[in-house]
Amino acid sequence: MISNLNMLENIALIKEVHELLPTQEAQAHAIESLRLIDLEHIGLNRLNQCTSLEVFYVMVIRAMMAKEEVIFIVTPFFLIKKLARIEPVLEKLVLLNKEQKNIIILDNLTNQSHYKGDLCNIIK
Amino acid sequence: MILKFFEHIGQKTTDFFLSIYEAMQFTALCLIHMVQPKSYNPAMRMVLIKQIYFTAVGIIPLFIMMAFLFGSVIIGVVIALATQYNLQSQIGSIIVTFALNEFSPFFTALLISLRSGTAVNTEIAVMNVNKELNTLKEYKIDLIDYLFLPRILSGIVSVTSLSILFAIIMLGSGYIFTLFYMGMDLHTYQTLLANAVGVDNLLILLLKSVAFGFVTMLIPIYSGLKTANAYTAIPISVLNGMVKLFIAIFFIEVLSLVLQSL
Repeated sequence: MISNLNMLENIALIKEVHELLPTQEAQAHAIESLRLIDLEHIGLNRLNQCTSLEVFYVMVIRAMMAKEEVIFIVTPFFLIKKLARIEPVLEKLVLLNKEQKNIIILDNLTNQSHYKGDLCNIIK
Repeated sequence: MILKFFEHIGQKTTDFFLSIYEAMQFTALCLIHMVQPKSYNPAMRMVLIKQIYFTAVGIIPLFIMMAFLFGSVIIGVVIALATQYNLQSQIGSIIVTFALNEFSPFFTALLISLRSGTAVNTEIAVMNVNKELNTLKEYKIDLIDYLFLPRILSGIVSVTSLSILFAIIMLGSGYIFTLFYMGMDLHTYQTLLANAVGVDNLLILLLKSVAFGFVTMLIPIYSGLKTANAYTAIPISVLNGMVKLFIAIFFIEVLSLVLQSL
């Protein structure tokens, strides 16, 4: 995350640079994505004003703004502090993934039990 | 012992020239990006507007106050000395040369360096240490286009516009002093300045301001980029950047004096 930008600017930056969208239009896309997971209120917050979970979602949305078809999430239990259950996170990822990108979560085998019976396929 | 001494000198010399070469390469790269239309994407333009606001607009109240205080005192001293040495006939060109060519761009560059140069150096250094620059690279965002170019352009625009403002304030103060020392009325003062100002004076003011604005941002950016990977390296980076920046400002000032004397 870029610390001198707010969450909206962080997300919008990708479309502004790669798709040359005007700032307002790019930020409208960002707000729309944040609204999907009821986080539009953090749009104007800076990095230090957000929880690790909020920062995680913003990072995922930002990755979804890029053209790449595959998104890697590495050790979410490390990225999100005090994360007990992954199901709500996975549900929100499904909500955000309108473009049907491949989301690959890389985690340690010790966290395997957290993913059992959830919305993802486990590959060892 | 002697061999080690020469090795040390050799190493230092090689490092020095290598760092100069790298800095020149970076400068050339920034200049190339400056003339490429594709560098000016919406994100870059937004950063540019913000930077101009922070660098030039935010400082205006303080700047006007400083310009009145220092400008008045300096121009007062110059006029008093000119009167003392019976140079009243040359007073117009003395005021114009001093205000437009020398003091305004130099003082503005010093003030912007202290205020914005340090801020930019710290900002880039912090982004470097926090790996935020790597994040931008991962998303294929050109650092020069998005981060450096807006800051360099804002430096050029800010120093140039504030130098002109400083010169206007200084020339205004000059009238007050000529009124007191020589009893000169406003019309005579205006005619005196109009006759003394030449295209060369304005050209020197513009060229010096552009050069000062360019280095005022370029050197802190480069210094921030060269920060080692630790928070403790940030103050060292700012310190080094500021020393190099002040040397560059004095170098430009001396170079312009030499060129003018030719």
